[in-house]
Amino acid sequence: MTKRTALRAAIALAAVATLAAPADAHKLAEKGKAVTVAASNLSVTPTRDWNRLSRKVGKHAENWTVDGEQLDEVTFHAAIEPGEPLMRERSKKKEPLPKFRNDMLLAEVPELLERTYRAGKDARDFQLSESAPGKFLGRDGVTFSYQVTDNDGLIRKGEARAAIVDGKLYLVTFDAPRLHYFDLLAEDARALMASATL
Amino acid sequence: MRTLVVGMGLLLASPAAAQQSALLPPYQGAYQPHGVDEIGLWREYDEDERTLGASSLVVRDEPLSTYLRRVLCDTVGEDRCASVRIYIVRAPIFNASMAPNGTMRVFTGLFLRVRNEAELATILAHEFGHFERRHGLDKFRARRSASDAAAWMALLTSLGPTYQTMQSYQNFQLAVYGGLFRYGRDQEREADRLGIAYLNQSHLQPRSASAVWQHVMEEAEASARAKGLKKPNFRTIAFADSHPPDAERAAYLADLAAPDGPDREDGTERYRTALAPFLPQFLDDQIKLNDFGASDYLIQNLATAGWTATLWLKRGDLYRTRGNPRDLSAAADFYASAVKLDPTLAEAHRGLGLALMKTGRPSEAAASLQTYLSLRPDAVDAGMIKMLIPGDTTK
Repeated sequence: MTKRTALRAAIALAAVATLAAPADAHKLAEKGKAVTVAASNLSVTPTRDWNRLSRKVGKHAENWTVDGEQLDEVTFHAAIEPGEPLMRERSKKKEPLPKFRNDMLLAEVPELLERTYRAGKDARDFQLSESAPGKFLGRDGVTFSYQVTDNDGLIRKGEARAAIVDGKLYLVTFDAPRLHYFDLLAEDARALMASATL
Repeated sequence: MRTLVVGMGLLLASPAAAQQSALLPPYQGAYQPHGVDEIGLWREYDEDERTLGASSLVVRDEPLSTYLRRVLCDTVGEDRCASVRIYIVRAPIFNASMAPNGTMRVFTGLFLRVRNEAELATILAHEFGHFERRHGLDKFRARRSASDAAAWMALLTSLGPTYQTMQSYQNFQLAVYGGLFRYGRDQEREADRLGIAYLNQSHLQPRSASAVWQHVMEEAEASARAKGLKKPNFRTIAFADSHPPDAERAAYLADLAAPDGPDREDGTERYRTALAPFLPQFLDDQIKLNDFGASDYLIQNLATAGWTATLWLKRGDLYRTRGNPRDLSAAADFYASAVKLDPTLAEAHRGLGLALMKTGRPSEAAASLQTYLSLRPDAVDAGMIKMLIPGDTTK
């Protein structure tokens, strides 16, 4: 190898290293400060510090976490219009995700989430543990809890609140492994959901 | 002598034997690994099996496991079957696999794609064929030498990263992995032939092998049609991925079957009885995948031996969740058929109520939802359903 090609290789390596640096870092949602989420008018006031993840999981979706999204994850789905899926689709044509429909009943929202988890996240099992009327965003909504098994066999617990406002779906979920992590942050997640306003 | 037996086995399994029905080579007894490659490979598979044994995705049900083992033993014979451990893995895809150490994985999606014992036996026999011929080891050796070569090529390429060397690296990679792919296919052919030889000496119909493949092709077409795609992608089917083109395989499987095959039984009743307790769960896993065409095809295919309340219920769920106005009235009909066959099926009353509610028939809907709640007062969604019944006093 000549000196020149070695230099060229070094420059190429430096260029690759620069590109690999994080383009946009995650942000912090500070305790007690109201913020709007998921590129919408949905606003929440956290009762503790959360990390707002910069990755985009959908047009109207945003992830928050404390210890990393594998261990605990809050997902805001805000102002989902009829005909829109909850998450970004891997392939609109070949692997479409279920869509929110304008005639969807609140009682059917848990089914929408279940079908999204199975089709979009390859969840192998989804058991609804409870689904009951509950206030969300000051409206009549649904509060439900579930247990979901991943494709690697990890069992997570989840809790969600949803309401349909002006024909648009607002849904917030909290998912964490059943063992230890769910109970660790469930109260903070519930407080976060309860603080949501439009 | 041993060489002669193996030689005969290969001869029987070769395409030249395609004129007469396939026969089975004699079984060589329990096998232990030889050489570093094979011993190392078995150790890895033993480790995998330990992980699998503890997984929450394994369906642990004694009657179903016993039934599956019975079918395998009837097909390949008691001596061969003793070397196998069967694990039923919860995954809504058409697949089954067998590792060289005797771990057989059967995916729950398989149960929806076979309609009788003969078809189930076909798939199990095919996987056992890979095991008996020890294809896993050949595949491992081929993959290892291929990836060694690819790793060297990558290293050489990185020393002078010009556009042209990148191009030739990509071509090289294609050639190596392409070769591996074809190699796999020849093994699939061999496993197919051996599989049908097992079936020929069992009490089940060997012809069913071609029926399974026919249906897999039709399912892929139905799925593509519903998604508005021009042509189906057969590559998306896990089991067909490395397997010979389905049309070719359907033809040679029909050729190799024993002549008295069509007169034998196919075990439809036994299969349906064994599957019945699990059908609602396995169908649920399928219809919630949001693949309308494939799911509807599978339900109708299962119903060729007669509609049951469960099949009507799941078809109703499938149509109701797609949710076009025409789907909702179709769903209401399907739920009504389910209720007619089994008036105590609570979920069918729930589905019927929701479908009627959305097609503008609220009073009929309320009656169905009320029936659901009286059949299942402690339902997890009782609170939400009560909200939909006007004037309900138990709120």
